[in-house]
Amino acid sequence: MSANMDETVSVGYEAWADALRSERVLGVSCSDCGATYGTPISVCHDCGSQDLELVDLPTDGTLYSVTRVAVPPTGFEGPYHVGIVQLGAARVTARIETAAEDNPEIGDPVVLSGVMEADDGHPAPVFEVETD
Amino acid sequence: MTTFGVHESSLPELFATAALSAYDDAGVDPADIDAFYFGNAMGGQTENDTHLAPTLATEVGLAGVPAQRFEDACATSANAFKNAVQAVEAGIHDTVLVGGVERCTPETGKGTGEMTRIFASASHRQYEQPTGLTFPGVFALLTKRHMHEYGTTEEQLAHVAVKNHGNGTRNPRAHFGSETTVEEVLDSPVVADPFHLMDCCPFSDGAAAVVVTSDDSAASFDDPVDVTGVGHATDLVPLGLKPTLHATQAARDAAAQAYEQAGVTADEIDFAEVHDCFTGAEVLASEAIGFFEDGQGGPAAEAGRTALDGDRPINPSGGLKAKGHPIGATGVAQIVELTEQLRGEAGDRQLDDPQRGLAHNLGGDAGTTVISIMEARA
Ligand SMILES: [Zn+2]
Repeated sequence: MSANMDETVSVGYEAWADALRSERVLGVSCSDCGATYGTPISVCHDCGSQDLELVDLPTDGTLYSVTRVAVPPTGFEGPYHVGIVQLGAARVTARIETAAEDNPEIGDPVVLSGVMEADDGHPAPVFEVETD
Repeated sequence: MTTFGVHESSLPELFATAALSAYDDAGVDPADIDAFYFGNAMGGQTENDTHLAPTLATEVGLAGVPAQRFEDACATSANAFKNAVQAVEAGIHDTVLVGGVERCTPETGKGTGEMTRIFASASHRQYEQPTGLTFPGVFALLTKRHMHEYGTTEEQLAHVAVKNHGNGTRNPRAHFGSETTVEEVLDSPVVADPFHLMDCCPFSDGAAAVVVTSDDSAASFDDPVDVTGVGHATDLVPLGLKPTLHATQAARDAAAQAYEQAGVTADEIDFAEVHDCFTGAEVLASEAIGFFEDGQGGPAAEAGRTALDGDRPINPSGGLKAKGHPIGATGVAQIVELTEQLRGEAGDRQLDDPQRGLAHNLGGDAGTTVISIMEARA
């Protein structure tokens, strides 16, 4: 029982956060139905399976939606952009960086550029809009 | 319900103002009340005040009855209402008090940055909050995707604010009592694009309460209205897991349940109070409840179809945008507006003899939605 519980923790948030700190973005994939999710959950939403495996998501993709936050919460310095990035079949919420004069737009190509840790030791992915 | 705005009173005393007026309106005494269904979203974070159900029950003469507190972000007191209706329908209780209270203005001692962080606690702690995502930001992400899919414009969003401010001037309980213009909205500072300050509801203090009773007992009450459907659904959290961001699927699922219970379609609803925490949220809601086809919510707002004299009136109260948004009180405040409109007691904002209204109360990142349908009693 306890070994099982330890295993559950190791494939969840801690593993996600540790991987992110080494610039990998992990999602989970259902071993039974193949559904992929951008952030770890313990039970597959599509089929109910508990057999979910951590998988590496692509570190480049496109912007699915994005906003410029001008009024930040305590603990953050604004303004900055937050977006949802489409990485293969999955989506992940991330900080979006761009050249100062550019406004990132939906559909823009993005690539993982780092990790930020402004919130009590909770890491967040940072993606950069690719320019050609 | 109380006025929405800035209140110095404590949560128990603020709630008592709403509860006593609900007793008076229904013509009941505390001795007639069998249970208390109560909503408060953030009292622990804003005022270090929790376990509020028995405290408020004591304040309003209900100590001893079963009292329960609900928390579902902005859908907090609609969920209290749903549970109350179901308990009465099931015969567990006959007559219950339902209400909510919240203080969000600087009266709590919290400033904009701290309140922005407290509101953000309704987004995913591990996978969203660390990015600095805010609640205006959450609805901006939903709305930007809608704009991308359908060509919805900032001007169309601004029309929602103009309409709701206009309605608010006719509501003596509204937080804002002034008109605005599209230009004023678009010229106000950006909070999270596409939302300007004037696209956003205010931080408000306030309370709302209603009495729910069984069909059999209702005849002995003053001027009852009927609850004919209450739907409640959830969507995946965080935002990245939602299959279609701008669909607000929980609202669609909850609306389908409520329409089925009431045996009606969207076309048979005379008006709606929807959760316009931001102008874009009203556009998304107007489509999710089936008032307009997908993509037509923006043009409909611009064309005046949702105005008091439009064919699909939305938020005659002024909505969250103008009436105000004391989080845990908002869901029941919508029920109060439906009740007053159906009774023909809405004063300067009264619609033309409405027979059936719908309330759409959304919580968090659209992860929760409760839809209630109410009808004038024949
Ligand atoms: Zn599966």
